[in-house]
Amino acid sequence: MRVLVVVPAFNEEESLPAILAEIRATAPGVDVVVVDDGSHDGTQVAARAAGVPVLVLPVNLGVGAALQTGFLYALEEGYDVAVQLDADGQHDPADLPALLAPIAAGRANLSIGSRYVAGASGYHAPLLRRLGMVLFSALATAVTGRPLKDTTSGYRAYDRSVMALCKTEFPQDFPDAPLLIQVARAGYILEEVPVAMRPRTRGTSFYTWTRSLYYPYKTLLASLVLLLRRPPQRAGGSS
Amino acid sequence: MTRPQLLAALLTVGLAVGVVELVRRRRLSEEYSLLALVAMAGVLVVAFWTSGVTTFTHWFGALYETSVIFFFGLVFVMVALVYYAVKLTRLTQEVRRLAQESALLRLKLERAERRDGEGGR
Repeated sequence: MRVLVVVPAFNEEESLPAILAEIRATAPGVDVVVVDDGSHDGTQVAARAAGVPVLVLPVNLGVGAALQTGFLYALEEGYDVAVQLDADGQHDPADLPALLAPIAAGRANLSIGSRYVAGASGYHAPLLRRLGMVLFSALATAVTGRPLKDTTSGYRAYDRSVMALCKTEFPQDFPDAPLLIQVARAGYILEEVPVAMRPRTRGTSFYTWTRSLYYPYKTLLASLVLLLRRPPQRAGGSS
Repeated sequence: MTRPQLLAALLTVGLAVGVVELVRRRRLSEEYSLLALVAMAGVLVVAFWTSGVTTFTHWFGALYETSVIFFFGLVFVMVALVYYAVKLTRLTQEVRRLAQESALLRLKLERAERRDGEGGR
């Protein structure tokens, strides 16, 4: 199973070297690609210094499109699985085997590193964010018919068939609840895996307060509009 | 011709000339200029064909001609805005896809150049 770790990075020159070194140390068998999402700092220099290929987006497209770029690359290069892993050090590469297990076993097409399922620990979000997470978890659970506890986790593994779906059908801006709903509606199997989130090493959360107003609106709308569309067809065969 | 009619005529003709000039300088595409020119023609019709406007107002059930004109003017502006938003969305999608393609090609090129560098010297 060829695995590609996709690290979307926007102005992450400070945190990148540590996380890239950590991935190499804990998971020597996997390839890594950094998607530099139009950074203004030395993100691509830092990635190249670590010997990691960089996909340089000439303009800032947002985390969703950056991730999609990683998928396009993974599809072109023939990888079986792509893992989305944040550059800020929140996601522990030591959890990679656990995250990959459901896909390797053929149980799931998409696995989510979840902070809330039994076995996960160490994450306490502010009240307002927790409220939003509960809302989107309930929405995703209702729509997909399966319990989904952590729709905002950015630590996920996708198999080729899901990536192929994301090539054309992809929720832009925030690839959270709408992405999971769409993938589930297309007939793919999602599984949550307990992981521990670490505090970010540097930088601030992607979800600043202006976005914290826009995010729920956008994600809710995107999720509901998805229900008005005919579900995308699951690609036959590969899993 | 009343004074408001004269003003409307001057204004719309002036704007139309401006729009055509923008098209001539390639600052505005023909596609978008059409919308503006049609709108100006509409203003001229409303300004000079007053009996028609009155008849339409009665048929529409409105009390004043002005409210009918403003209502349809606003509807036109809203439709135009949505039309532009659709165009913007498509442009955004196209730019995104191009940026992604550029990132993929750039990495491919870097690799090819490195291979050449190693093989050639």
